[in-house]
Amino acid sequence: MADSLSPVRVAACGCITPFGEAAATHAALLRGECALKAVPVLGRDGGDAVPLALLPGRTLDETVPPGWLAAVTRLGASIPEGDWGSPEMPVFVTGSNFGIGSLYALRRSGDASFAAWSSPPGCTELLRVALGWGPDVSILSHACVSAHLGLLQATRVIEAGLADEALVLSFDFLSPFVAGGFHSLKILNAEFPAPYRERDSGAIGLGDGAGFAVLSRGRGDWRLAGQSLYNEMNHFTSNRADASGFAHCLEGVVLAAKGRKVWFKGHGTGTLDAGRLEVAAASRAFPGAPIVGWKGSLGHTLGSCGLVELAIAIESAKSALAPGTVGGPGRPMSEAVATGNFGTAAFDGVVCASNAFGGAHAAFLLCND
Amino acid sequence: MSDPLAARLKQLIVDTLRLEDVAPADIPDNEPLVGGGLSLDSIDALELVVRLEKEFGIKIASSEEARKALASVATLTAYVRERSDPSRLPS
Repeated sequence: MADSLSPVRVAACGCITPFGEAAATHAALLRGECALKAVPVLGRDGGDAVPLALLPGRTLDETVPPGWLAAVTRLGASIPEGDWGSPEMPVFVTGSNFGIGSLYALRRSGDASFAAWSSPPGCTELLRVALGWGPDVSILSHACVSAHLGLLQATRVIEAGLADEALVLSFDFLSPFVAGGFHSLKILNAEFPAPYRERDSGAIGLGDGAGFAVLSRGRGDWRLAGQSLYNEMNHFTSNRADASGFAHCLEGVVLAAKGRKVWFKGHGTGTLDAGRLEVAAASRAFPGAPIVGWKGSLGHTLGSCGLVELAIAIESAKSALAPGTVGGPGRPMSEAVATGNFGTAAFDGVVCASNAFGGAHAAFLLCND
Repeated sequence: MSDPLAARLKQLIVDTLRLEDVAPADIPDNEPLVGGGLSLDSIDALELVVRLEKEFGIKIASSEEARKALASVATLTAYVRERSDPSRLPS
């Protein structure tokens, strides 16, 4: 174990989306491509066509083993080798819906072969074995800020000297249960999302996604200079109208960003009220920072979005070019919303924020110094 | 004379949301349903939307449309009357 505390760094990270791994996803976003397609919300059972971004070749309906297993195993192969799952190198697995698709399939079909995959512990244990990890694996979930929660917990473990490095893996893959649930809220509808745009009605898309980050005290080009989690406890599906929930969370990284020129990767699902509140709070916290959101292309990858978008943000910094906000037409809610690609060389940090049902907010500041 | 559809919708609100101590006639026509005197929230609104879609065969496309429709009993009545098959409406 290291002797003294030093900033926790991102030693490695990666993601998979329908476009491929992080570099391919970043390139597709720069081209303004949209991974969302109109898909029947209940899979083989049909229903309204809604915008979903599924991994190539994967159907919405559950299979045994799950159709996402090969993709996560492939992502796992890109994780740097190490004694993962040992006390010195613990693993934190996060997600918001893992297992629920299989549980739904089990409930509907009665096919017992779905059972092993039908819970977070079940999925995680099977993944642990498939990826060759030891037993020191923890499961964390807090809706769509799950990945952020994993990053913060891993950071704390390292900062407390309890581990040398930690791996955070997050994944969420769509199922008729999840898509149907969002559809019932009337926010997953026939329109495609247009994050941070003025429209008559809001719409979101959902996407398959997984990501990982290796956190280390001693190595890595990227530093997590500040992290923040906050729950405004206002309402299950809505935020306080004065944006104070967003503001409280961002306060946690404002100090760390003092003196820096940052850009802001927002949550930006395409809902109108939350989009306006987020843009207002981000503009107040980080005046002049361009605001972007990528869920208009990738869809909302739910609990994994924090890590998926972290990997894309790092690709943006590495290539000195960040994708603008991708999505449908409409006037931006604010001049701060970047609709086109922009250079990142003039910036020395990016704030990445996510939000979740239940009034949960999360943000971190990523710097390459 | 009260509008039969408005009366039916008030009954549906009471039944769907299991409102105790509220009679259909107590629900005013022009006061906000969500966030008003009935203390309904967005989850209540969601339950109402599901029930309305089933009972009247209508489709509410987005949360914004639902919010407009559920502004009051009066707006809801107009919304349902405009979109529903007349054979499904109370006479």
